Amino acid sequence: MTTVITAASGVLPPAGQSGCTAVGLAALAARDCLATARLAPQSVGALINVGVYREANTFEPAMAALIQKEVGINLDYLANPGPAAFSFDLMNGACGVLNAVQVAQALLETASCDRVLVTAADVHPGGCAGDDPLYPYADLGGALLLERGTQPDRGFGRVRTWSRQGDPAVAGHLETATMGAGGRAVVTVVRDADREERLLEFTASVVADYARAEGLDLARTLVLCGRPAPDFGARLASCLNLDAAQVLASAPPGPSMEGTGEAHTAGPVLGYLQATAAGLPAGTEQLLLVTAGAGLSAACASYRPPLETGDTAL
Amino acid sequence: MTTSTRSSRFEALGAYLPPTVLSTADLLARVSGTPDVDLERITGVAERRVYDPSPQAGEDSYGLALKAARECLANSRYAAAELDVVISASITRFKDGGRFTFEPSFARMLSQELGADAAIHFDVSNACAGMMTGVYLLDRMIRAGVVRNGLVVSGEQATKISETAAVELTDSYDPQFASLSVGDSAAAVILDESVDEADRIHYVDLMTCAEYAHLCMGMPSDRTQGIALYTDNKQMHTRDRLRLWPSFHGDLLAKQGRTFADEGFDYIIQHQVGTRFVEFVNATGEEEFGVAMPPSLNVVAWTGNTASTAHFLTLQQHLKAGSARQGAKFLLVPAASGVVTGALSATISTLGV
Repeated sequence: MTTVITAASGVLPPAGQSGCTAVGLAALAARDCLATARLAPQSVGALINVGVYREANTFEPAMAALIQKEVGINLDYLANPGPAAFSFDLMNGACGVLNAVQVAQALLETASCDRVLVTAADVHPGGCAGDDPLYPYADLGGALLLERGTQPDRGFGRVRTWSRQGDPAVAGHLETATMGAGGRAVVTVVRDADREERLLEFTASVVADYARAEGLDLARTLVLCGRPAPDFGARLASCLNLDAAQVLASAPPGPSMEGTGEAHTAGPVLGYLQATAAGLPAGTEQLLLVTAGAGLSAACASYRPPLETGDTAL
Repeated sequence: MTTSTRSSRFEALGAYLPPTVLSTADLLARVSGTPDVDLERITGVAERRVYDPSPQAGEDSYGLALKAARECLANSRYAAAELDVVISASITRFKDGGRFTFEPSFARMLSQELGADAAIHFDVSNACAGMMTGVYLLDRMIRAGVVRNGLVVSGEQATKISETAAVELTDSYDPQFASLSVGDSAAAVILDESVDEADRIHYVDLMTCAEYAHLCMGMPSDRTQGIALYTDNKQMHTRDRLRLWPSFHGDLLAKQGRTFADEGFDYIIQHQVGTRFVEFVNATGEEEFGVAMPPSLNVVAWTGNTASTAHFLTLQQHLKAGSARQGAKFLLVPAASGVVTGALSATISTLGV
């Protein structure tokens, strides 16, 4: 059995709108996916939300339940005892989407459900990333609709994960001892000075490990990674002895690309959309999605798109 | 789809309760707007355990989780380095005292400290169904052959919400009223592949009915410094909400041509919201299934509502005390914000506690 992306979507906050929410962005991206796939909300069996930063620093319920409500999936089983759905948050910093793919593979493999919707939305708890110069991420949402593939050898390969001992390089938290009554609108993200170097070395190392373990020809692979620095993609290509065009470091779209902040958990969704928007470069057999971040934690998975897909480009 | 017939089982269980006891009477003495109600009579919670704030006690959410994980590993045949996955399910993610953590994941930090560096790791957050969600995912990962074993752990510094409620509460209709019935704790469970029906998770299925997702919301207070939980208790515990479990569970069994009576459960563990809540849910189950419920295992009277750890803390306490026997069939029923319900059926015969 393989797992394929049936639809993908990435959304930015509507221009001029203040007070965006992770639930709103995730629900918008999720609805986009369902529209692209021409599916009703009730066709989703599991919803996994992997966003880390959220409105008002909400910690209960799962943001996934609030997103599920917005999208209209399994609202009340007693009133409408159709197919049930289950939702939950899965968080692992930048690696959430690939961990969710790993979990979705198990849910689909065991016939626990037929479709898994993965949402990845991060917003500043105060509602606007641009208002906090110390907050490094963009307000951004993404979604992937996953289901069982029908074409052999098409879809996701095995998801592999790695950890590195030592300092986490990135840490995000709310200082409740000093937040006063303003804790709904503040968050602290601390990034070590050597973060970019450590993430570069770690990312290169896990890509090489993955290619070796899975027998992947990197020369015929487009690597999709995050963008902790503007030249990260080029430097990763250099580390891996690849052509610069074989590495795509995703960033939120728009004229102020460097000013809006980094894509966080939605990074792999953006990368997938940007890579497939115009078709894969000639000679490319597969994508390799790689994420690395706080922990240090990293994850990798190959993806061979089915011969026809429906994507919603940004 | 899989043709595998693999199943999972509970291999080891661990729990930790802080030694400090806070009686309901002593808690109420700290509430500024003392409610004009008998909290102990309404909830059945006589006392709860509370964290020691001194750093050396290691009783923030992270420290509590670490203690339960170590206890669980001590009861397991696996060493930390042999774990394939570590899943953390804390709702309250306090580390280093008052730092509420968003990244790195608790699971990453716990796996590093435990020596499970090779393990897949991620946090799940699903309110009081968090550990059940972790067990559900680990069961599926074992059945799919993604992992051979794994640890699900949660440490809950839940009384942080009681502290805010004590300062802000005005009367018994206040949305923070339920925050007075929680307690601190940690629990951890290791699952691996079942090779014997005497130790097997027969099924674990969960459902979220999102219409009611807003009935219980947790976030920092906007009135004083602290985290708070706002619950619409009346709506959360209406008869229709309570009927979600028997309706979902009954349909699940009917698809396989079985009934609740056929299951032969020896014990039932409901979410430990309060003694009367457990009675109401069991009464609803009896009405809907048309059969008596098995003996109900509880700890809420002396632990309070321990959030995501409640079912596994209850299981551990009763197995350890001998008030639940090994070789029995257990039904665990979650009830969580979302709202989440479901059923976990397991026979437990050689579980290390």
